[in-house]
Amino acid sequence: MKLPRYATKADELQTTFEFVSEGPRGRIPKLVQFSETNLKDFYNLAFGDKNPETGALDDLSVSNNGDSEKVLATVVDAVYAFCYRRPEAWVFAMGSTPARTRLYQMGLNRFYAQVVEDFDLYGLQGEEWHPFQPALSYDAFVVQLKHPLI
Amino acid sequence: MNINDLNNSKVPLVQIDPALNEYAGQVLFPEKVAKANEVLKKVGLPKKATTRPNEAA
Repeated sequence: MKLPRYATKADELQTTFEFVSEGPRGRIPKLVQFSETNLKDFYNLAFGDKNPETGALDDLSVSNNGDSEKVLATVVDAVYAFCYRRPEAWVFAMGSTPARTRLYQMGLNRFYAQVVEDFDLYGLQGEEWHPFQPALSYDAFVVQLKHPLI
Repeated sequence: MNINDLNNSKVPLVQIDPALNEYAGQVLFPEKVAKANEVLKKVGLPKKATTRPNEAA
């Protein structure tokens, strides 16, 4: 059974995704962006809150909106949508802070069974990449599709 | 693609919103991309990777 996730909007190239977290602290717009890096087919994933009044982005905020699992499921959805259009892409994720990196790790742990069916996952420990194992802690993560999605 | 294919697809349905095109070509989190490039330069890719340098970089 699929876990709840938020409806997502994206730009036409599907590199920037937007959804709205809903919870006790109100409606909080969130943006997920995949940006090119210095390596071809290698993209950085970043996400954060968008201030609806100023448009300013904040990737350090902790919304505490009671929906972290739904938010993570939605970010995973964005990775699927992005990689569907770019099956060769590598997606790199590293939190702005150790706490945010742990949040990414929680997401990968939570969705590991689903994600490992479709993606190769690696975690960075020190200066070496290792195949991702849910029980271990990592400094950063990278995923790539194993096969084109249908 | 029929309704069963849609229901079973792992690819989420995403609504295209032209208003988000304003972000095309913008790096919203530049410090994160800089950090990614720093890690890539220092550590490289997992062994499986076979990417080549981006011509634009």
